[in-house]
Amino acid sequence: MEPAISVRGLVKTFGNFTAVDGIDLDVPRGQVFGFLGPNGSGKTTTIRMLTGTLAPRAGSAHVLGEDVIRHPDRVQRRIGYMSQKFSLFEDLTVEENLRFYGGVYDLPADEFAAQREYVLDMADLHGRENELTRNLSVGWRQRLALGAATIHSPELLFLDEPTSGVDPVARRQFWDLLYDLANRGVTLFVTTHYMDEASHCNRLAFIYRGRIIADGTPSEIRSRHLTQRVLDVSLAGVDAALPWLERAQGVEGAYLSGATLHAVVATDSVLGEDELRRRLVAAGFADAEVTEVEPTIEDVFVNLVERQRAGS
Amino acid sequence: MSSRRIRLLIWKEFIQLRRDPLLIRLLLIMPVMQLIMFGYVVAVDIRHLSTAVVDLDHSSLSHKLETSFSGSGYFTITSHPVDEASLRPLLDRGTVTVALVIPEGTEARILRGEVAPIGIIVDGTDSQVSAVASGYASQIVAQFNTDRIEASGVSIAAPGVEAQVRVMFNPSMDPLNTMIPGLIAVILMLSLMAIMSQAVVKERESGTLEQMFVTPIRATEYLIGKITPYALMATAQMLLIAAGGLLWFRVPFNGSVWVVLTGLALFMLTCIGIGLLISLVSRTRHQAQQAMMFLMIPTMVLSGFIFPVQSMPAIIQPLTKLIPLTWALDVLRGAFVKGSSFTALAVPLLALAGFAVVIFGAAIVATRRRISE
Repeated sequence: MEPAISVRGLVKTFGNFTAVDGIDLDVPRGQVFGFLGPNGSGKTTTIRMLTGTLAPRAGSAHVLGEDVIRHPDRVQRRIGYMSQKFSLFEDLTVEENLRFYGGVYDLPADEFAAQREYVLDMADLHGRENELTRNLSVGWRQRLALGAATIHSPELLFLDEPTSGVDPVARRQFWDLLYDLANRGVTLFVTTHYMDEASHCNRLAFIYRGRIIADGTPSEIRSRHLTQRVLDVSLAGVDAALPWLERAQGVEGAYLSGATLHAVVATDSVLGEDELRRRLVAAGFADAEVTEVEPTIEDVFVNLVERQRAGS
Repeated sequence: MSSRRIRLLIWKEFIQLRRDPLLIRLLLIMPVMQLIMFGYVVAVDIRHLSTAVVDLDHSSLSHKLETSFSGSGYFTITSHPVDEASLRPLLDRGTVTVALVIPEGTEARILRGEVAPIGIIVDGTDSQVSAVASGYASQIVAQFNTDRIEASGVSIAAPGVEAQVRVMFNPSMDPLNTMIPGLIAVILMLSLMAIMSQAVVKERESGTLEQMFVTPIRATEYLIGKITPYALMATAQMLLIAAGGLLWFRVPFNGSVWVVLTGLALFMLTCIGIGLLISLVSRTRHQAQQAMMFLMIPTMVLSGFIFPVQSMPAIIQPLTKLIPLTWALDVLRGAFVKGSSFTALAVPLLALAGFAVVIFGAAIVATRRRISE
């Protein structure tokens, strides 16, 4: 079977600004593919080209075996799309929203009835069919949007920051729904800037300033792009310690990670937990605690971005 | 293109419209309110001006003159100040707008065959009222002179020219007869531009626009689905105004329905086009509203809806030709009042067709491009 997505040399410019700068992508079927990158790095532009709503400047894009640039209409019935805005008509009821999207895809009555039932189950909206979408809380709206985007049983679903602005509990529940879809054979193409969500994906690609700077499975990316060790530094004066760490001898990179600092050091560096702590205390950070940690995907990407910035 | 998808889009649009009770009320109340406002408040004919008569002559001639003023219907004599000094406060306070002063010895002078000057004082605060009032007053005096000469038995055998002014097309000079046809076009413009300018920008804000174009919905289907409901609604509003104007205010309709419909259809496309263009350049609904206001004021002032184009400075007049409403008013007023045919209204109709092609065309092309960008 042809891959879900196959992209070669895709370019999109807006005036003088190159939003997407010659990217290649291969997404096999049945995977949860994470497309990561900071805001403004070209994620949404790429999705819009892959869904056939934006014409690229150059390059080719095949989605489900069809040339999406030339024949977006052949692709659009077979894909689904959900954006961070959830894209529901807020002044329509739950039922009317489903009816609208079902009608748009020309679903026969019996198929619509079955899909409607499935969505109401999945989104836990039984008995609230006649409520205005506007009055639903964010978690419900998000699940209804997922239901509306999949009402025509797409083979491939694009999700553009589907969890932004949603609380952590709802985010976890939402990922459970995505796994259900993946288990039913749907390929998922998910963008996010929550790095912890990256570990939910089978494969990842990291886009930065319009270029893909890393791709592979999460463990491949970790082993390929981060050969150094990561030391977690916990102390009260984080703001003062960060510039010190950035200048410290032997520290290749330092950044904020949650409430603590991460310092990247070479594998063969003399800097270990004890040595770094000793130097921090000597520099006046008496309460510093240093622990070596397993690098996360976030560590990898922060490092990649730092290296790109240093290189450019 | 799928007619089923277009029907679905129209269905969705009508539900959304129904869920916005304020908008529906505004759309229904607006034409009724404007009809009442322009029908009763703005455009009333100038009659029954309160008038003071200062009769210092106390003769039979002065009584006759006063009677011809009060009998005309234009002047209602409300007071008789004893002298000119006590007239002034009445004018200052606005108690009277017109005063007729007949000096002592007027009758005696006329009997001697002399010219007898009388005074007509008009409050010039409102230029329109004063112009009309002095016009009526001169007419009455002229008529009074003619009657008196004929009554004296002196025949003016010498051939002379007698000017008879006849107001054509609108003999009653009722401003309503031009105001209401104009109102039909104005309502059409106000409601279509107001709604269309919000329509697309609202869906872009909520993200539903980008969502719809990932589905099989095509740009053309979307536009037809968007425009149809509001075009229907604007038509209903126009019918409301036309019915109110023809049946309640008894505005005469002398022309061809087809001329009116052609003009309105072309003007409708233009208004939809302007609304869509506003919607495209605005990022938020608030911006769209501001842009609407920005366009609306020069349109109302320069189109000739309220102030006649002929009374505008010569430099401004060519500008009025750039405003579609100007031409729509030409067509509607021409057809209603003069019963003008297609041939007589060829210029304004062609101008409207030009606006429709350019503005509506640009809006469709720009919307399609914007959607696919």
